[in-house]
Amino acid sequence: MHGFLLGLANGTTCLAFCAPVLVPFLLAEGENVRQNLLTLLKFLGGRLGGYMLFGLLAWATGSLLSRAANYEGLVIGAAYVGLSVLLLVAVLRRKAPAPDACALKSAQDKLGRWPALLPVGMGLLAGLKTCPPVLLAFTDAASIGTLSGSLLLFLTFFLGTSLYFLPMSLLGAFARLPDLRIVGKFAALIVALYYLVSGILLFAGGVQL
Amino acid sequence: MTAQALTREGTPRMAIWKALLLTLPIVPFAAAALANDLMSGEAQLIEIIPSLLIWILLTVFFFRMLVTGKTHRYRSALFILLAFAVPLYLIPQLFELYGTNMLTPEMTYTAKARFCPMTMGMVILPAVLKGVVIFPGAIVEGIGWFFLWIGASLVIGRGWCSWGCIFGGWDEFFSRLRKKPVVKHVDRKWRFLPFAVLLAIVLLSAITFHPIYCEWLCPFKVVSEFEAPTSLATTVALVIFPLTFFGLVVALPLLTKKRIQCGLFCPFGALQSFFNKINIFELRIDLDKCSQCKRCFRECPTFSLDEGSLVSGKALMSCTRCGQCVDACPKGAMSYHIKGTRIGISPNAARLLFLYPAYILFCGFGANVIADALWRVLRLITTGSMI
Amino acid sequence: MAKLKSVLGYSVAALGIPIMIAAVLGIRLFLNPNAFISATGLEHSANWTGGEVVQTIEHGTYQTDVHRPVFDALIGEHKKGFVQVAWRPPEALPARIDEEIDADADGRADFRIELETATKQASLTPYSPNVIELQGVYDLEETLAVRVRLKNPRQ
Repeated sequence: MHGFLLGLANGTTCLAFCAPVLVPFLLAEGENVRQNLLTLLKFLGGRLGGYMLFGLLAWATGSLLSRAANYEGLVIGAAYVGLSVLLLVAVLRRKAPAPDACALKSAQDKLGRWPALLPVGMGLLAGLKTCPPVLLAFTDAASIGTLSGSLLLFLTFFLGTSLYFLPMSLLGAFARLPDLRIVGKFAALIVALYYLVSGILLFAGGVQL
Repeated sequence: MTAQALTREGTPRMAIWKALLLTLPIVPFAAAALANDLMSGEAQLIEIIPSLLIWILLTVFFFRMLVTGKTHRYRSALFILLAFAVPLYLIPQLFELYGTNMLTPEMTYTAKARFCPMTMGMVILPAVLKGVVIFPGAIVEGIGWFFLWIGASLVIGRGWCSWGCIFGGWDEFFSRLRKKPVVKHVDRKWRFLPFAVLLAIVLLSAITFHPIYCEWLCPFKVVSEFEAPTSLATTVALVIFPLTFFGLVVALPLLTKKRIQCGLFCPFGALQSFFNKINIFELRIDLDKCSQCKRCFRECPTFSLDEGSLVSGKALMSCTRCGQCVDACPKGAMSYHIKGTRIGISPNAARLLFLYPAYILFCGFGANVIADALWRVLRLITTGSMI
Repeated sequence: MAKLKSVLGYSVAALGIPIMIAAVLGIRLFLNPNAFISATGLEHSANWTGGEVVQTIEHGTYQTDVHRPVFDALIGEHKKGFVQVAWRPPEALPARIDEEIDADADGRADFRIELETATKQASLTPYSPNVIELQGVYDLEETLAVRVRLKNPRQ
């Protein structure tokens, strides 16, 4: 219950930090509300994976991983870069590759075969990168002491925050407009470039530390 | 035949006496060039002469717009003049005040950055939701720009981009240098990039509480002020600014003869496009007169006319009301139009009702900027220093 | 109906002229921007101002202003921010300042600043794990200030 309430209290912050990634991506996908909901659930699944990883680390280390001197630079910087790569792949891939082997020669078509992984990967990296309430939950989880308790706290925290994400699937009502799809793709590209540059700068700063 | 005879390109002219009469209301607004001199009361001849020259120039140009029926030729010249004048006006001022046009951290922490209307899209969300201004400039200056921007946008919509923007003239200058374009076709999908840039910077600025466009992307940092390279991030940004300026403002406009920065990148322009939806003015095609020559497509600098326009008879929401298509149309089919009125009836009236507020906007701050820039140049010639 | 739309159209278009005049001249002649700012409560982001001063320590000829830690965000708080510590007036500062600062007002010092006021060189000794690094020394108009980057203890 504590984790769930913690998630409810901080979910808007999580949504705010994920919005620059989610909004352009969902617009660019151009799917209807139902499809958007499925994509959103994959994204949230990725986030859950990231949170479970944190739960495991919190139990294992017993203290905030982020207190390590170069965590912010190296790990978060790498997560930023990974997120930007996934966003770029999502935008540039062709969504429905032709069935014959010749068509799969192009990188765009090959990337189109892996649609399911993209939102999952983005969710995982987004969950690692900038969700401040995660560290709040981390502190609590680290003090629990048991693996099952730590994981349970993160699971319930995840459920609490995810409620705020569900209305994002309504972007599907707009994303059918072809012009908005193009806007979404371009916006996703720009956000990807921003995270790429930020990630490289953070990474460079992390190495220096 | 009436006094409003059609030119070869089909743009209505005006009788000289009528044009003189209709120019009179503009004279006091063009006198804004003299505003600073009059207010100080101590202006010397070297300061008054450029102000007088600009006053005369603005008045004559408006008169010529009416007499010749040409809008774009005169608007473009003034627009380019303003863009060139801004760095000559701003940068010496910054050196006089702070000894530099580089924004040090101390200057941002004491709100000394100069507000720019292009910040509006980024500052609105945090200002409305949290009451904080995320741009490090004097809030008083920001309020002044806000009301000017809101009023101007309601009246002339995206006409701001061709009559008010202090930087757009750079783009326009380079787009007019070559006689013919090297790159003739630009894919339609690039027209949506400004909206994507707007979406991205609004989201990222709201999240970070920093004006992202100003800190990372604005090409016009090259001709104004910019953050001093005191960190890795600001140093990287200092590399990005000249790249965006050279690419979007110089090279691509040269190659395409289009205003690439304004039409295909500027997020403020995208924001202004939404005002076109509620604005009373628009550019319309009289389909009865149109010969489908598509010359308006080729002339439009911001990709605001397409095949659909020849069916609907309307320019797209990205139209900046520059008047280039109106001047170019050989059949007089393009015209300024007031929504709700019949097309082709009294095009001069619609054009005049648009020109007045647009010119007042230009004179409102452009007159003083150009006059001051001219004074700086004269000062440089006579004393060897602009400051 | 067509005539009514036409009359309305021309009227709205004509109204644009006084609106534009008001927009261009209004801020100079009619509107009091300071009154507007007071009425709306608009203020600069603490990222620029350093936030409000929450602690003032007197040292005789000069004083230390400790600002609140800044983690401001649109929604919630950032997980990293800074605290600004300023000394005033600049002309009355000693050649060297050596001071321990309690940034979060919990009664315990969080870091120690050693500052050479002439050269504006400073060093930071963190006491709390929330202290990250010294961001910089800044010669502001009425103060000499440092910003110390912090982690948000609530995140």
